[in-house]
Amino acid sequence: MAIKIGLEIHCRLNTKSKLFCSCSTNSQEKEPNKETCPICLGLPGYKPLLNKSAVEYLIKMGLAFNCNISEESYFSRKTYFYPDMSKNFQITQYEIPIATNGNIHINDNEIRIKRIHLEEDPARIVYANGSISTTKYVLIDYNRAGAPLAELVTEPDIKSPKEARLLLEKISSVLDYLGIYDPSKEASIRVDANISSDGERVEIKNITGFENVEKALSYEEIRQKGMSRMNKKIERETRHFDETTKMTTAMRKKEYEEDYGYIFDPDLPLINIDKNWVEKIKSSMPELPEKRAQRMATQYSIDQYDANVIVYTGRDFADFFESCIKKLNKPKEISKWMINYLLKSLNWRSERISNSKVTVDRFIEFIELIDNNTITERFGKELIKEFVDSGDSPKGLVGKISTQTKPLNEVINNIIIENPKAFDEFKLGKKEALQFLIGKVLNATGKRSDPKEIVNILNSMLEK
Amino acid sequence: MQLITKNLSAADFVSNSINGSIDISEFYGALNEKLAIIQKKYAPFITIIDNPELPKKHGALYGLPISIKDCICTANIKTTAGSKILENYIPPFDATSVKRVKENGGVIIGKTAQDEFGFGTFSTNCAYEIPRNPHDPNRSCGGSSGGAGCISAAADFPHIAIAESTGGSITAPAAFTGTVGLTPTYGRVSRYGLIDYSNSMDKIGVIAKNVYDTALGLTYISGHDANDTTSSNTKSENFEDYAKNSTVKGMHIGVPKEYFDNIDNRITKAVMDNVHKLENDGAIISEVSLKLTQYALPSYYLIAMSEASTNLAKYSGLRYGMQNYVDGNFSEYFSNIRENGFGREAKRRIILGTYARAAGFRDAYYMKALKVRRLIIDEFKERFKHLDALIAPSMPIIAPRFDEIKKLTPLENYNMDKLTIGPNMSGIPTISIPIGTIESMPIGMQIIGDHYNESKIIKIAAVAERNLNGN
Repeated sequence: MAIKIGLEIHCRLNTKSKLFCSCSTNSQEKEPNKETCPICLGLPGYKPLLNKSAVEYLIKMGLAFNCNISEESYFSRKTYFYPDMSKNFQITQYEIPIATNGNIHINDNEIRIKRIHLEEDPARIVYANGSISTTKYVLIDYNRAGAPLAELVTEPDIKSPKEARLLLEKISSVLDYLGIYDPSKEASIRVDANISSDGERVEIKNITGFENVEKALSYEEIRQKGMSRMNKKIERETRHFDETTKMTTAMRKKEYEEDYGYIFDPDLPLINIDKNWVEKIKSSMPELPEKRAQRMATQYSIDQYDANVIVYTGRDFADFFESCIKKLNKPKEISKWMINYLLKSLNWRSERISNSKVTVDRFIEFIELIDNNTITERFGKELIKEFVDSGDSPKGLVGKISTQTKPLNEVINNIIIENPKAFDEFKLGKKEALQFLIGKVLNATGKRSDPKEIVNILNSMLEK
Repeated sequence: MQLITKNLSAADFVSNSINGSIDISEFYGALNEKLAIIQKKYAPFITIIDNPELPKKHGALYGLPISIKDCICTANIKTTAGSKILENYIPPFDATSVKRVKENGGVIIGKTAQDEFGFGTFSTNCAYEIPRNPHDPNRSCGGSSGGAGCISAAADFPHIAIAESTGGSITAPAAFTGTVGLTPTYGRVSRYGLIDYSNSMDKIGVIAKNVYDTALGLTYISGHDANDTTSSNTKSENFEDYAKNSTVKGMHIGVPKEYFDNIDNRITKAVMDNVHKLENDGAIISEVSLKLTQYALPSYYLIAMSEASTNLAKYSGLRYGMQNYVDGNFSEYFSNIRENGFGREAKRRIILGTYARAAGFRDAYYMKALKVRRLIIDEFKERFKHLDALIAPSMPIIAPRFDEIKKLTPLENYNMDKLTIGPNMSGIPTISIPIGTIESMPIGMQIIGDHYNESKIIKIAAVAERNLNGN
């Protein structure tokens, strides 16, 4: 039985101020409850004021995913009581969302997008001791309350947990290119996932992290298949994904649709979305990742795969790549070093290129060292780690690292003294002995030396 | 001091305060005692401000005593909206209307009594003392702005009341207390700082002793406000100018027959006498029909209760207002607060409103009511193509006694609003003026205009007022 997956994806938009007030959205480092006002705290008498740039961001998102943009749209009140809700209703869009009927392609599968709408984020709940199931009380931080979220709802067209993850990566990348969200912030994307195989639809609420989404869905897929095999009925319910055990647990049975008693928010008049406005936004849209990757592969004659890696790593990464090429027209060399080594070092440090110490000029300096054979590739691989760590000039680093190591002659000499038998056999022309000695030297130099160079030195020693 | 200010109009009081012939600090020194006596007799206030903040610079309301309905936020002054759930609530900000009163030199003297969150027609659904009618303390002041009507009638000093109406909460108390009540066009006065009842229909307006003072009050609280998206860009006017030397010559006035069904005959007669006088003054009178009137009441209550039930969700004893020892889980805690903090009528409206917007009922009730409202607005707009104003009784009865009110079923109670609901849910302006008495209790007549046509209804009201004063 094939599984069907649909996602509700909440993306935090990076506008400067919140959706309905002028409080800053950049409150992660701030003291709890400092970035608040009567509007986002829901004090009696306040009135919400729509942040128009959030509407613009949502239109961009809708256009990027081939949606229809509504000419008129409304905000509604979704009412439910929960401690993270300052008003016990959330201002969201119900009847007519800003964007509808779009699609995203993952390989050959078209995933239809039902709608994308704007809504306000609730406050952050801090579980004081332990998790949702063990805590005795919770603390609430309203700094996040009222931040703008785009909720994207897909049709149940996703065919596997892996595909769900690919979809999220693609959406994340597009939002990054549009410059409307911050991919470096944790919890910039939160997901509710619906999955059904044989029986009723099961919802897994509030999963953070793409890997967790895949894991939660895989766990659920296996659980549901197991249930079917045992002829057990899969009930309609809401489950919670535990990030530590990587398992889903039942939260509540869902016998009927939740009733949120939607009404139009009477404080916010109709949003008029003028066709000219949409056209203006369309013309200001940047090149999106799919197109960029295709263009880069052709323009720089690099592998499509490599172009994809560069583009989907992030807009900043691709921008870095193209800036490098403007200074040194060696696309293959640059892409090879960026993908295989620079990215690895950045990932090791959990850094993005844009907030690392690496600059275009110094990276070019590094490529040139390799290109003109000042350093070996092997040494380059070592050097790049130091370079990403410090951001210092690669030329300077070469000197520094070389002085820390003994000259190669000296190392080889010591090895010969320690292994006289092997050297004798090498003199007799035994290949195994040569391999043995090279191995010893490589180990001693931390693989920084070039085997060719070692052979040259050994040969020169024969002549002595 | 008493003799000097007693019969002064608000405007004369202001000019005397500015030229120094009235010393406002002396005036306010004497006012405290006066307010205490009124409060003891009629209870118009929830909060009296003992040492009101006097203005530092001159303005169009310089030194004028102004009361504020308790659902309008006042910075650092307790604001309860008549509810126990906000018994200790002190807002951190002034409502725009309050800010404008202060900027123009007005002096806030107190917060007036009301039905809890505006839920009522008699100011009897109140967590605090019920205001009593200065014409007969055994009778209601009307609601929900009962305190505003009460102090306007009882004050023997110049005064303007800032009141609020959702479905008739200015007209009812004005009619019952023999004062003038002006409910402006929806959007004319900023709602920023108004504690919401039904946001799509709530309007801040004015109650005072005469048409001129009432119009003056509107002039200085109206105008666009960036803090309220629904506030209108329409230019503010000097409304009080329309109350001076006005004429009704050539104005077309309609008398809607549906507004005279099941009305006290004596009220009908008084209204028609006044209509005839206006005809003698040159107005062109015609009988008209507003067939959709009968649908106004149910659709109004569906919309108002749906919106109110979401507005009241935020009162959960967590961030402000009534609090309790935290006991049990979140649901148990907030349920307990709401059980103890809300009155019967608030609970009734939360339950009915939640039902009307629930899945499965929403289309039949809430959505349909919105459509009916649209049709009712269209019907008014159609009439105003040919008419400058409509005239009708304000209330179907004179102010009832408290023992009579106790006998009313909720439905009979809601039915008291049948004459005010239509204009209020359509967002069109109305002014209610006193036109005589029955059994020494005041009768009110309302003049209804098209959106933003306050000028016309003020003109007609001023002429009718002059006719009654015999000049």
